[in-house]
Amino acid sequence: MSLITTENLTKYYGKLKALDNVNLSIPEGRIIGLLGKNGAGKSTLMRCFLGFLKYEGNISLLGNSMKHHREDIHNHVAFIPDVSSLDDRLTVKQTIDYVSNMNDSWNAEKANDLLSKSDLPINKKVSGLSKGMKTKLYLLITLSLDVKILLLDEPTLGLDIVFRKEFFNTILGEFYNEERTIIISTHQVEEVAHILQDIIFIDEGKIILQEDVEELKSRYSIYTVKSDKEELLEAHNPRLITKTLGHVSAILKSGLAIEGAEINTPSLSDLFLEKVGGSNE
Amino acid sequence: MNKFKTLLIKDWHISKKSLLMPFWITAAFYLLIVLSVAVGYFRGDIPFNEFKMEGEMAVPAIIYAINIGLFSLPGFIILIFTITLTQSALNEDVRKNCELFHRSQPVSVWWRSLSKYTIGIGGNWAVLLIIAIFNFIVINTILAFFGQTDFYASLSGFAQGFLSFAKIGLLLGSLTYFCSAVFKDKAFFQGVAILLGINFLFLIVNVLLGWKLPLPLKYIIDLFSFTSFSNFDGDPTMINLPELINGMWNKLIFNWKTLLQIGVSGALFAAATLIYDHKEVK
Repeated sequence: MSLITTENLTKYYGKLKALDNVNLSIPEGRIIGLLGKNGAGKSTLMRCFLGFLKYEGNISLLGNSMKHHREDIHNHVAFIPDVSSLDDRLTVKQTIDYVSNMNDSWNAEKANDLLSKSDLPINKKVSGLSKGMKTKLYLLITLSLDVKILLLDEPTLGLDIVFRKEFFNTILGEFYNEERTIIISTHQVEEVAHILQDIIFIDEGKIILQEDVEELKSRYSIYTVKSDKEELLEAHNPRLITKTLGHVSAILKSGLAIEGAEINTPSLSDLFLEKVGGSNE
Repeated sequence: MNKFKTLLIKDWHISKKSLLMPFWITAAFYLLIVLSVAVGYFRGDIPFNEFKMEGEMAVPAIIYAINIGLFSLPGFIILIFTITLTQSALNEDVRKNCELFHRSQPVSVWWRSLSKYTIGIGGNWAVLLIIAIFNFIVINTILAFFGQTDFYASLSGFAQGFLSFAKIGLLLGSLTYFCSAVFKDKAFFQGVAILLGINFLFLIVNVLLGWKLPLPLKYIIDLFSFTSFSNFDGDPTMINLPELINGMWNKLIFNWKTLLQIGVSGALFAAATLIYDHKEVK
């Protein structure tokens, strides 16, 4: 069953085409990475999913057309843009009270459990919290919602490595089950690679690829040969050849017979670079 | 309804600094008066025995006027804070980078807007009422101390004074609220600047081309000017106070213009909310 489908989704900002004819189908019970470079269209796509932006084409979210923002959709979808988007003028307690009273899907038991595990200063203003503390607060109010879809748009932007890891581990441990779908938009592929089941690569507003991560990894291999045998790799027209000490590597289709090549499984970062290209392309 | 109550509580938390400011200003004002009176009393500068008012009709008329006058300072302070709160009502969350957080809550934009409107205008009415009640008690206690009481005149003056500022607050707040949906920053001043610009443009066109384009500022001023307490001019002993008070009620509340003012305020709220609802959230 598809939770979100888009048909010919196109979005312009003035003359800039931010999304170009996007056709997607987001299944139930998956952890999906929406990966792309800065400005690729990830945030625009997320905001279109929720009807926050005007667009051409069609989006259906849980069977509802999202041509215009529908507030009732938030009974089933939680959205974290980034941890800095909390309201700085409220205290931690006021924020929790506000979200709990607003949402019929609020799970008080879970919220109390998460709150007791955290060291959040309940009476402190959000403006006075560190980024790490804001992350904990955002996680608390989001994970206490019994919703079907969790949309995370660059949620760990500006956080250090410890909080980034904690963020995704908490999401995985406290939120995910086989009936829930998580879509994580990020340009930092390596930090989410270990939790993703499906992958969507987006570049210049176009969907380059949507595939199961394991299937994708099995379709490609990293071939490494000595530097003087680079032409063996070039013969297969790789998009990118990486040079290391005395060796050259390229990502090519699995199953190729290249003499003297060492074959390894590519990481998501490698595949991302292969499909989308590096920053200096 | 529970969600609306939650929104009101949230908007109260966000706005309470601005809403409580008139109390501090009033307290400072009282402190100044108390200090001045104390200094005057100990120096013997204040002629307390001259506070005696005379004349059968003059006393109630003066009490009525004093009770209307209770609102002059807090009324103007409240109007300033009504502008302050309503001009940031629909654009502050965007500036504070928390618009997406609030928009991601399952509640209608209309309820959200109504909560901000209620706090911006109704909140200031409540503050005005509390300050005015305090002023009413203080002033009328002092008047009673000097033997001057007239409950009907006091209460009529109080109620009419409050309603006159409440109406200006409603109109001014609604206009500024509308501006907050259109402009991102300093909405009131931008709105006034554009209004003045259009007005002068029309004026110049009318003068140069001999046209008779309507001047928007004239209509707005006309809409705001519900009454003046002009009947109160002249010798207070010649005033028929019940007649004056009844006449003032008719001018202030019981007329078609009041309906028009409420209608315009409602239309400005609705237009502001529609504009806000249709804006993209980036």
